[in-house]
Amino acid sequence: MTYKILLSGDGGQGIQLVSDMLAQAAFANGFNISQIPNYGLEQRGGVSLSFLVISDQEIAYPRFTKPDILLIMSEQARIRTEKNKNGNLILDVQDYNKKLEENNIFVKSYNIFFLGRLTKILEEKGVLKKEDVFNLLEKKLSTKMNWEENKKTWELAIRN
Amino acid sequence: MKYNFVDNKNRKLMTGAEVCVQAAFDAEAKMMYGYPITPATEVFTGWIKRGGAYLQTEDEIAAGFAICGAILAGQKAFSATSGPGHILMQDAMSMAEGMRLPFVLIVGQRGGPSSGTVIYSQQEVILSCFGGNGEGLRLVYSPSSLKELYQLTRQAFNDAWQYRFPAIVLTDGYMLKTRGVVSLEELKIENIPPHQLVPEDKVTHWQNIYTFEDDLYYEINSAKEDFHKIADEIAKAEKYLTADAEILLVAHGIVGAVAKEAVQELRKVGIKAGMFRPITLRPFPKKELDKVCGWESVKKVVVIESALGQLARIVRDQLAPEIDVSFEYLQKPGLGIEVEEIVKFVNK
Repeated sequence: MTYKILLSGDGGQGIQLVSDMLAQAAFANGFNISQIPNYGLEQRGGVSLSFLVISDQEIAYPRFTKPDILLIMSEQARIRTEKNKNGNLILDVQDYNKKLEENNIFVKSYNIFFLGRLTKILEEKGVLKKEDVFNLLEKKLSTKMNWEENKKTWELAIRN
Repeated sequence: MKYNFVDNKNRKLMTGAEVCVQAAFDAEAKMMYGYPITPATEVFTGWIKRGGAYLQTEDEIAAGFAICGAILAGQKAFSATSGPGHILMQDAMSMAEGMRLPFVLIVGQRGGPSSGTVIYSQQEVILSCFGGNGEGLRLVYSPSSLKELYQLTRQAFNDAWQYRFPAIVLTDGYMLKTRGVVSLEELKIENIPPHQLVPEDKVTHWQNIYTFEDDLYYEINSAKEDFHKIADEIAKAEKYLTADAEILLVAHGIVGAVAKEAVQELRKVGIKAGMFRPITLRPFPKKELDKVCGWESVKKVVVIESALGQLARIVRDQLAPEIDVSFEYLQKPGLGIEVEEIVKFVNK
């Protein structure tokens, strides 16, 4: 069993944080992981990608073009990942805009929302435990600004 | 869904760069000279963060010659570089080849020519094996996983100091930047201690330039003989399902790991594929390659690489001329290669 997850957004949206939390939680649950960011010349203002593989087998190679799950958090990212769409599960921010606005979710917390969504999906598959992800998140962000907002966002994403 | 969960005891999440740093510390390296360049920078910064002694020089030429100097004084010194930095480093690497200095260099291949990309390639194979004005009398290791990266980095230090040849651990941007799961605890490797190459108590004249052609000729021949003597011991390859293989995939480094998975996929659809992965590119595991390619079952050799024929050139050069086998090439200079691409290429 191998899950290939491609996370994409604008630099600064917190894509690498989402990837990091999922990777650590899956690893803590006994899986192999491999994780590689894009590290081209475009980091500031450009598209931020993270290639994450979670598997119960040895992982030979960190990159892929056909992810099982694709996260798109921005317009630029949508264009950049055009070639990666192939009947996979796609979480696209444009499909969630209404929900996010209705619930007054801070734009800065969007990554936490999608972290929650991905956690939910992966927990249903038995890949990780949501408590692990939340604990990692709390450790990382609870002393930083907007923790209450982030926590509220996380709860919304996990709940429904 | 049923999974094969793994016990996390002794397992760690580490990047390739962190693995290199760990290996350098465990090898008891004492000094790093370098100049930062993506994707090898984190080997340097990781070494510094963990308290390793270092000097950031004005460029890779200075770093390289600083290493030569430190080694002459008996210090285990090393560097890590990439692409254009690697080109500059070859100046000192050539001196190390001429003077038989145990110069250890970690290379993270990026795209070329010139600045190319900062990301990934397998285009520094010829540069690693034959860079500089010399004869390629150096050791070049090409790991395909984080664990092997650790083992071969340790081995590079050991072989360099034992046999006195410069050594390159040839890795790439993907491998250095990838975070994966490794368990290093069970790997017990003894260190070959460094020794002072120049005595402190008397004046020594140690040449790296010769007055007469014959003197240089003698030196090169003597180094060549030493190199050939250790070649069988150092040269290594991984062979996978080669016993009855009709199509032999040849790939090195991270592409070798991909080729191995491709063999599994090809076998599932009834194609008798096997894989030959040189773990050392210098000395090349020539005898093993001859043996595998010499079997009647092998109809075709497919050389796969993220370069335009650098590995292929070495493979054809090393294969015994009397072995009659046809070649095909899957070449993607500066681009990663996925399992599906290899399967499609072979199964066309």
